[in-house]
Amino acid sequence: MPSPSGPPTHSVLVCGEVRTCLLPSLQALDGRAAAQLLRLRADDHVRVSERPTMYALSPEVLTGVDCGLPAANGAKVRAVGTVAVRGALTEGRLLQSTAYVSLPAAGPDVRRPWGQYLVRPGLVEPLGKLPRQAVAEGVLRGAGRGELDLGMIAEGLLAQLRRHALLDRRVPFKSSPTRLRWVARREPEGGRASLVNFTVAEGGLRAMELLLPADVPAAAAAGLCEDLALHDWLLTTTQYMLDNSRLGAADGPSVVEVLHPVVVHLLHLWMPRAHVDPALGHLWDVLEDRPGFSRQWENLGRRIRDRLALQAVPRPYEALSRR
Amino acid sequence: MTEAVFRESTAEPRTQSVPLAHLSVELGHLYMEDFEAGPERLREHFAEVRVWVDAVRASVDRRTKRPRISTCFLVDDYFSRFSTPAELIPMVLKEAERAGLVIDYLARESACAVADRIELAESVMHRLVESPPPGSYGSRPPVSRTGWLANGQRTPWTPRSALGEIKGWEPPRETAARNHSVFMDVELWSEKDGRRLWSCPFLAAVWQLARLGLLRHLGEPVLVPTSWAGEDFPHDWDRLPPLTRLTDTKAAFSAYRTCTLMPNRFLAVEDAVRLILDQIDVDAGALDQVATRSAGEGMPVPAAVAQRATYVFYEEPGGASAAEEA
Amino acid sequence: MLIFAASDKGGAGRTVTSANLAYHRAMAGDDVCYLDFDFGSPTAATVFEVADAREATDGRGLHAYLIGEVGEPAWIDVWAKTEHPVLRNPPPGCGRLVLMPGDVSGGEFATSDDNLRHCVDLLMKLYYEYDLVVVDLSAGRSYAVDMALEATAQPEMREITARWLVFHRWTHKHVAAAASLAFGVRGIIAGGVARGHDEEALRGAIRFVRAAVPDPESPLWSQVSPTQSAWMRKTDGDLRQLASAQGVGYSQVLGSVPLEPVLQWREQLITAEDVVDSQIANQETWQALSRLAGRLTDDKYWEQA
Repeated sequence: MPSPSGPPTHSVLVCGEVRTCLLPSLQALDGRAAAQLLRLRADDHVRVSERPTMYALSPEVLTGVDCGLPAANGAKVRAVGTVAVRGALTEGRLLQSTAYVSLPAAGPDVRRPWGQYLVRPGLVEPLGKLPRQAVAEGVLRGAGRGELDLGMIAEGLLAQLRRHALLDRRVPFKSSPTRLRWVARREPEGGRASLVNFTVAEGGLRAMELLLPADVPAAAAAGLCEDLALHDWLLTTTQYMLDNSRLGAADGPSVVEVLHPVVVHLLHLWMPRAHVDPALGHLWDVLEDRPGFSRQWENLGRRIRDRLALQAVPRPYEALSRR
Repeated sequence: MTEAVFRESTAEPRTQSVPLAHLSVELGHLYMEDFEAGPERLREHFAEVRVWVDAVRASVDRRTKRPRISTCFLVDDYFSRFSTPAELIPMVLKEAERAGLVIDYLARESACAVADRIELAESVMHRLVESPPPGSYGSRPPVSRTGWLANGQRTPWTPRSALGEIKGWEPPRETAARNHSVFMDVELWSEKDGRRLWSCPFLAAVWQLARLGLLRHLGEPVLVPTSWAGEDFPHDWDRLPPLTRLTDTKAAFSAYRTCTLMPNRFLAVEDAVRLILDQIDVDAGALDQVATRSAGEGMPVPAAVAQRATYVFYEEPGGASAAEEA
Repeated sequence: MLIFAASDKGGAGRTVTSANLAYHRAMAGDDVCYLDFDFGSPTAATVFEVADAREATDGRGLHAYLIGEVGEPAWIDVWAKTEHPVLRNPPPGCGRLVLMPGDVSGGEFATSDDNLRHCVDLLMKLYYEYDLVVVDLSAGRSYAVDMALEATAQPEMREITARWLVFHRWTHKHVAAAASLAFGVRGIIAGGVARGHDEEALRGAIRFVRAAVPDPESPLWSQVSPTQSAWMRKTDGDLRQLASAQGVGYSQVLGSVPLEPVLQWREQLITAEDVVDSQIANQETWQALSRLAGRLTDDKYWEQA
């Protein structure tokens, strides 16, 4: 979005964190309910898209910050501005929230009047120079105490949404949320966006680095990260449920009990780049090539269907014993 | 990049623009006590205001050859209900005319809370983004939970842990302080019997945003003026439109800038209004439209919204303050 | 399911027993999260033998989270971080076992609206993620108990199954104190009702766990004199009567854990190795813990008496 007034500000770094979890509701929400859930502002639109998958995106709301930036080299950089936060719901089932900011190369030496920050939503200005590389690494590593904490801001929105009166606050199955931290370094206008790396760490933590041409809006990068986070969550969650090695054991949960929710609630959610800005869609290709996100998903889907199909067939010894 | 063939309108919302004058001048704000003081009070008020209105017009003339100035008047029907439109409006118009003033638009204060079934105040409340005191990294409880908005850091109140450190009193601190603080904490609403009563400064902030052409509801304009076609004004405030056009003026209700003329006892309220305006994240589409068009006319607006509102605080007409004390 | 572990006073075996229950459930395949809400003296990390990992999280634990200093409480994957050699190699098929430690530098604090909101958010979030969430509360009528009651009374948490275990030792003083904590003035039920809980529902969600119960029939006491033996039997009987009179009788008891030197002195998890290989712990203790762990979620034991 062009800043409406004041000198335009060119960002050199965009950072964000996406949280992905199952919506605490036994039934998936329809488009209307999704719009109601995500109406963070009474007077603002919730974008609802029905095709190719049902996807609702809240308006962006702002959180004001004035704090240190996480910096890998320990540099103390104070920054002031607003963090943009938004919520998204896919197929009425998967809930995500993203907090993200753009950072310019340098800012004024003292804090401006607040009204001037408000007209540049989603921009956080350093007081002085921005140590870009150190901050990018710092964001990926995670905020220390008192430092700009995008995860905390994203989690705050998620908690608010999970409390919504519309939800019955029951989940069809237990699952772990994931966190995707991302940084995008700005490149000259007209270039092609690229994915530098995508790292899967433990405890549901993911990290991602991008190169983003100056003409691609930060919101588009946030959208791409949400899409990747969503599909990574699907892989992680489904894999974990299948890996429950007590599945079908005599005293363990039955195969149908565990896998039924996957079939009902998750299998149809796979739809890479469905709502990704066309300028960034190609970044998926890298992950499709290696490790092959969709390949893994197809494989998981096959395994689930096979296991369920086997349930319908009497086992050999059972068949024998019936004679 | 080729244009996408497939579109979904719900996925691509737009913000409609509204007509804009150069300046919106508020000629007065009528409360019950003013009404009860009788027509003489209004007469005094308009006579005093007239002097300043001429000065304000001269100021616009300095910047443009063809000034578009609209005038408005606000009647409180929110905090207390008194009289009826049928009785009150002709009297107000008569007294204004006597002073040589024309009122183009008349608004009801309750319209700043709810207009045409749209909860304007509530919407504006959702757009509050607090100015973060140093050390804010995203953990402060949002104002929507407290109902108070400050211009800095309050005196800290933290429940102490058992055997925790004992701290003495610490002063509040204005975030934008120069050497010393002028700390202000504004109550935005109160709750009684489950009903929310918006505070006067908060409704006045909504009023300023409306006059600055910065309010939308789902992209559509709100508080659109309605011409009063009937002969007599209604006998019930609820039957009067939220915003009524009283003349055939070409100047739009909303404008790039506002000027509000009021007795100096409202200074604190309007200071609170500025504090609120400084912490509202207004509709980006609307903000952009106003910025672009004002710049196109060679009179660009200040970036910060609160800077677009100016005031004249004049001395209370004689006898008014005495009447209040009595 | 949420399990709140309360006790009348310290030293009732609350932490060590509830940690063992969490361990048993994780071994049985459940994903379990253990929250150390013992704000005054968080010790769960010692029981799980993750002291080093806990040290690294100090200042970012539950205490800091609840008072709003950090966005998320630190957590420790017990299987990965424990210094206990056996726990480091959990059997295939077991669930996750996660500890959210307290902060040593913390302390008891009163419940404010913000603390409460953080608490509700956390419990809800964990409820959606874990099969079992065990919350270890500070002893007595503590702020931790207060917060747990207040949180579970919030409309957001009405749908959630929460159960209360009151741990006590098998002595006159402890039996009376446990009954008072549950049923007495400013007790769990009175406090819960004052915060909006339904009295019957809350009463039905409380069970007692007798810890460190000496069994007069145990071979441990086979060498005592007939007089001593008779006295023990009589005292045990008296205690049963007292418990019954105080409303903490048989029907309100979820289970008992026998007097076990390993639990008393080492305050650690009892593994199958301890029972089978090194035989330092008693088979009976293992079985009692296993039974108790099963009963946590077995509705049969939670029906109205």
